[in-house]
Amino acid sequence: MSDLNTLYKQQVLAHNKNPQNYGEPAHWTHHAEGLNAICGDQVHVYLTIEEDVIKAAHFAGDSCAISMASASMMTELVTGQSIFEALHLFAAFKQMMSDEGLAEAKEVLGPVACLVSVKKFPARIKSALLCWYTLNAAINGQPTATTE
Amino acid sequence: MLREAFPCLHQQVNGKDLVYFDNAATAMRPQVVIDAVNDYYCRHNANIHRGVHCLSGRATDLYEQARASLARLIHAPSPDNLIFVRGCTEAVNLVAQTFVRERLKPGDEILISHLEHHSNIVPWQILCQQTGAKLKVIPMNDRGELVLDELDTLMNERTKFMSVIHVSNALGTINPVKELIAKAHAKDIPVLVDGAQSTPHLKVDVQDLDCDFYTVSGHKMYGPTGSGVLYGKATHLEAMPPYHGGGEMISKVTFEETVYNKVPAKFEAGTPNIAGGIGLGAAAEFMLDVGLEAIAQREDHLKQYTEQALKTIPGLRILGEASQKSPVFSFLIDGIHPHDIGTIIDHHGVAIRTGHHCTMPIFQFFDVPGSCRASLAFYNTEHEVDILVESLNQAKAMFS
Repeated sequence: MSDLNTLYKQQVLAHNKNPQNYGEPAHWTHHAEGLNAICGDQVHVYLTIEEDVIKAAHFAGDSCAISMASASMMTELVTGQSIFEALHLFAAFKQMMSDEGLAEAKEVLGPVACLVSVKKFPARIKSALLCWYTLNAAINGQPTATTE
Repeated sequence: MLREAFPCLHQQVNGKDLVYFDNAATAMRPQVVIDAVNDYYCRHNANIHRGVHCLSGRATDLYEQARASLARLIHAPSPDNLIFVRGCTEAVNLVAQTFVRERLKPGDEILISHLEHHSNIVPWQILCQQTGAKLKVIPMNDRGELVLDELDTLMNERTKFMSVIHVSNALGTINPVKELIAKAHAKDIPVLVDGAQSTPHLKVDVQDLDCDFYTVSGHKMYGPTGSGVLYGKATHLEAMPPYHGGGEMISKVTFEETVYNKVPAKFEAGTPNIAGGIGLGAAAEFMLDVGLEAIAQREDHLKQYTEQALKTIPGLRILGEASQKSPVFSFLIDGIHPHDIGTIIDHHGVAIRTGHHCTMPIFQFFDVPGSCRASLAFYNTEHEVDILVESLNQAKAMFS
């Protein structure tokens, strides 16, 4: 059970219950839909990008707790960052989930690094990654993303 | 104890006794099936229908005995009514391309139901694209039962074929296929019944149903993966062209022409899944030994026990409450995504399926992305159902 508590840790449950930046905003400039159809995770990412800076980041959709918490934390982390920095964070998150450059990635990701425990549940890594791939798609003008 | 016959049930996962409730995805296999596959490779290994040597003769006999066992299981008039296939998916595609395709012209219609598995939707969509025919769907209600009010309109002079699932893999609904077949036949519409989820649980009699085609999936009925049979009425099978060309399905080949082999060999090109077919025959014999009525009775009891047990959980909603159903429970719990439930109860040793179960239109109907699905078989126990309920309550506590 201890493994389970490291997956569904307090931060994850709290973000799942009270997700930050949740819901489609009235105005946005960039959007993409992330869909993992087999497991039923769906995440819409809405960005307001002005002069290459993410002024606002929101998400919506119906997902598992891991996907919801990851998206909630991600929107908090990338708000106010430049596109370049956001893509760097995306790369760091992918690194953290694949063991490469773990320490460095964790430092960059700050509070989001708590999701490293998802790695003990290989079937759930795609849930944590979905919002990040969707963010990347939104920034690059692609309409959809998936991690299945 | 029947349960003892299934070796894979007896293990621990995540430190807990395994509770296997994912039978609709694939069932466990009894030792006699594993032994039959093993014996073929260890003692009888040879190709079939072509060697004069002893092993080839033995392998051929075992393969054809398996065909006969399956004919007995579904009460086919003869083993020659059965074509060995990889599973129901291949069976549906075979019928679509060799029986239905040549009957269609643009504007004709194929009728399916809202409860179909993707494997009984997509082959027909492909066929519609190839021919200009249209796919029509018998609707369902919020109990997960087919609504038959508009059948007279749905079955019309343009309807050239109907293909319906016998038992829904997602909701467990047992469809009134005998009634549907009679109505279709009254309008000269041939019918395929997808038996992937019925054969493991119900006594199937293809002659009593009077279906034109019936599909059987081996791995759902305690047999090997990649095995299955297609039942077809003899007149249809005789008239149909081959599906695949190759060895075994011919009686004479020259560069000018080929004379096809007789049914069922005409549809069995190439070296088949010999071990799988023999194993599937062993599964059919196992089910006949246990007794099809005994299996149905045991599962009916388990179904009632599980339904009552699940209903003790506040906030749990069962999707699909048809009056006739098999022990399959699709459910949702308020505030917890199915994927999270699946992970949490796996840590209690409980294996269920989460997601859309290859039936996305059903979940579009209920306007949810998917569900948790506990699907039981006769070897499951009431105690295992209690463990499921306890683990679901723990998931709720974690997310409260």
